[in-house]
Amino acid sequence: MSDEKQESPGAGAEASETPAAPEATAVKRPKLVPVKKAVPVKAPSAPADEGVTRRGLFSALGLGWLTFVGASGAFLAASTRFLFPNVRYEPPSSFRAGLPSDYAVGAVEERFKAQYGVWIVRNQEGMYVLSTVCTHLGCTPNWLAAEQKFKCPCHGSGFRMSGINFEGPAPRPLERYAISLADDGQVLIDKSRLFQEEKGQWKDPASFLRL
Amino acid sequence: MARSKVMKVLTENPVWRSVFRHKMPSDDRNRVLVVLSNVFLHLHPTKVRKSGVRLSYTWCMGGLTFFIFLVESVTGILLMFYYRPTAEFAFEDIQALGAHVPLGIMRELHRWGAHAMVITVWLHMFRVFLTGSYKPPREFNWNVGVILLVLTLLLSFTGYLLPWDQLAMWAVTVGTNMARATPFLGNEGPGAALLAIGDTPLVHAGSDVRFALLGGRFVAAGALLRFYVLHCIAIPLAAAVLMAVHFWRVRKDGGISGPL
Amino acid sequence: METFKEIVNFLTNPKILLILSVVMFAAGLIFIRFFTKPIVAIAGAAASVVFFGLSMTDENFMLIVAKADNVPIVMMVVLVGFFTWLGMRRAVINDQLMEAGQETMERRETKQKVFVWPDLVYIEFLAIILCTVGLIIWSILLDAPLEEPANPTRTPNPSKAPWYFLGLQEMLVYYDPWIAGVLLPGLIIVGLMAVPYFDPNPKGNGYYTWKERKFAITTFLFGFLILWVTLIFIGTFLRGPNWNFFGLFERWDVAKLEALVNVDLSEYFWVIWLDGGRPTNPLLRELPGLIVTAGYLFLLPPILAKTVFRKFYAEMGPIRFNVMIFLFLMMASLPIKMALRWMFNLKYLVAFPEYFFNI
Repeated sequence: MSDEKQESPGAGAEASETPAAPEATAVKRPKLVPVKKAVPVKAPSAPADEGVTRRGLFSALGLGWLTFVGASGAFLAASTRFLFPNVRYEPPSSFRAGLPSDYAVGAVEERFKAQYGVWIVRNQEGMYVLSTVCTHLGCTPNWLAAEQKFKCPCHGSGFRMSGINFEGPAPRPLERYAISLADDGQVLIDKSRLFQEEKGQWKDPASFLRL
Repeated sequence: MARSKVMKVLTENPVWRSVFRHKMPSDDRNRVLVVLSNVFLHLHPTKVRKSGVRLSYTWCMGGLTFFIFLVESVTGILLMFYYRPTAEFAFEDIQALGAHVPLGIMRELHRWGAHAMVITVWLHMFRVFLTGSYKPPREFNWNVGVILLVLTLLLSFTGYLLPWDQLAMWAVTVGTNMARATPFLGNEGPGAALLAIGDTPLVHAGSDVRFALLGGRFVAAGALLRFYVLHCIAIPLAAAVLMAVHFWRVRKDGGISGPL
Repeated sequence: METFKEIVNFLTNPKILLILSVVMFAAGLIFIRFFTKPIVAIAGAAASVVFFGLSMTDENFMLIVAKADNVPIVMMVVLVGFFTWLGMRRAVINDQLMEAGQETMERRETKQKVFVWPDLVYIEFLAIILCTVGLIIWSILLDAPLEEPANPTRTPNPSKAPWYFLGLQEMLVYYDPWIAGVLLPGLIIVGLMAVPYFDPNPKGNGYYTWKERKFAITTFLFGFLILWVTLIFIGTFLRGPNWNFFGLFERWDVAKLEALVNVDLSEYFWVIWLDGGRPTNPLLRELPGLIVTAGYLFLLPPILAKTVFRKFYAEMGPIRFNVMIFLFLMMASLPIKMALRWMFNLKYLVAFPEYFFNI
């Protein structure tokens, strides 16, 4: 403990770079011995007319430390920000996926799984797009047509064709992406807009294409 | 007689004497000097308790862990000569390593050494616990040891991605996806939804702790580079510093543990 | 042979395996004098070798064991088994010596000092040589695995973490990622670091003993052997495609169908027991789970402090005791949650999927 006390005033004075620095080192030594002795030693070495009082010295030290901590914090924040680049080189988020008539009713289209990470499902009422990212830990589930479910190989989560989770550890349903019809009649998928069932977002008309 | 003559020629010259400041360690005085005058041996005191050299007491697992760390450093540096940490080349370079480079067990030594190091470091901790060697005055060194254990696992884990094959990719996908669920810092962690200005979330897939680790929203080229740098520079450096502390504190806290 | 395989498959059902390992663990500690006899250890080792040899004739077991990355797991199981035995044997001998009023083996040797050169350096040198030779032989015999190039769209089935994290991966089945992936690993680290500060027992410092540190050693061994090593074993040998459980000698059939419909506590409480509907207010909906969780974390410690752990409470004082008991309860929560899942298909005690907060 005494080591720290001994160091802090000196280091603080250096950080603040005030002219008080020489006095600070003078103060440093007496502080090791009991305070009663320190006072008479210190008094002659720092006469009042030089303008450095004990209170002034300590507030300068305090300011110095504050600056030091602030600067360190700012540097840490800047370093953290450095981990996040301003530009990401990732595939574009929206694409066209052919005409609705290309899709068989009641089937899961796996054609876009590899490139875009989506399943497109067509049912009686219309179409929707499911993300291929398992909501448990982000593995890619497999569509098991025989059992009519998506099954994740990592921890065994299972999802129905609708994307609703029903078995295994997945905490919530698969996410859906925005789907609409483009001017040329093709299905347009926008992966930048997510819809989560548990937040009631599947009721959003953009999450489902009525046909 | 011939032997002693050879020794004489070998040792009684200015070059030898400039390196070794002691005579042959055949008496007590020189046995002490050999340890004291060598920076590496100076890791040890000159004398230890007899229990400290008994294998059934120490299991030697801490020492082996350090040795395997050195093996990993050497083989790792050699491997770096042939490896480019980009999505384009990483896998090819590893394949080429097996086919085009002589002494084709360097990657094997590195990989099996890594596995062995995980085991030895666990067993070292196990021994230290069973002998109660974490008790005063060694509490702090036990803490340093726990951090070193974590660093060993992280070293092994970051290295797992570098071959850039299916095994690597998915093990790391599963491993890093846990970071998504970090409370407040991960975009699917509890509390993250609370950190928002109006409707704009502050913590999303492009700004959470997992992104910082991967340099992207999924395991891709950015993750490969970051893991490479962590694996080759950042974590080994941190581990080396902590090892220095660990060994120094072993000495300062009374040497290889034994009953007080 | 077939019946033998059937029996083993039945015994390696994870529920039975875990119960068996806990029973064996308890038996090992209760009859510690018997189990630490060399003859018992030799018999156990021989039985293991025979079992391993017989298992190698099985195609499916061979497929798993022969995978290069699984070799260290077999090595670890062997080494952990041996060193557990060695440590406990020395502990028992020391305990007997102390009972007879004599010094422990370590204390006897503390007074004798040996020179580092040559005694210690020589042992280190030998250890390094042996380790190097072992590594080189291992590297010549087994190639480092290299699978197909990374493909972000095709998840292999099953997809496993590196073997030393398989215990964590197994936890992920029972807990939400923020608990299994962040909270529990964090608590393991913090808990390990805190050990020297809440172990009030001054005895057993620097020598093997069992009698003087029964609670500490039992807890640590349980965590290490059961919750870490056994879970790694389960994750390696018993988890197959689609993360289904398979017996040790069962073929990994991708089409194996296992109905795993899991139910939240809120559904049990409101729908099944009270025969009503689940309340729409999420707080009210999850009230039963919140009460159970709060009871476990806040009611149990004072009860334990007054009853079974009375001695610890007196020795440690309230702060250290509560920290210790919190870590202890978190550790115990893992097997509890596993049992709840296996017996009642319970998914979450508390589930707020809206806020990614599930327990």
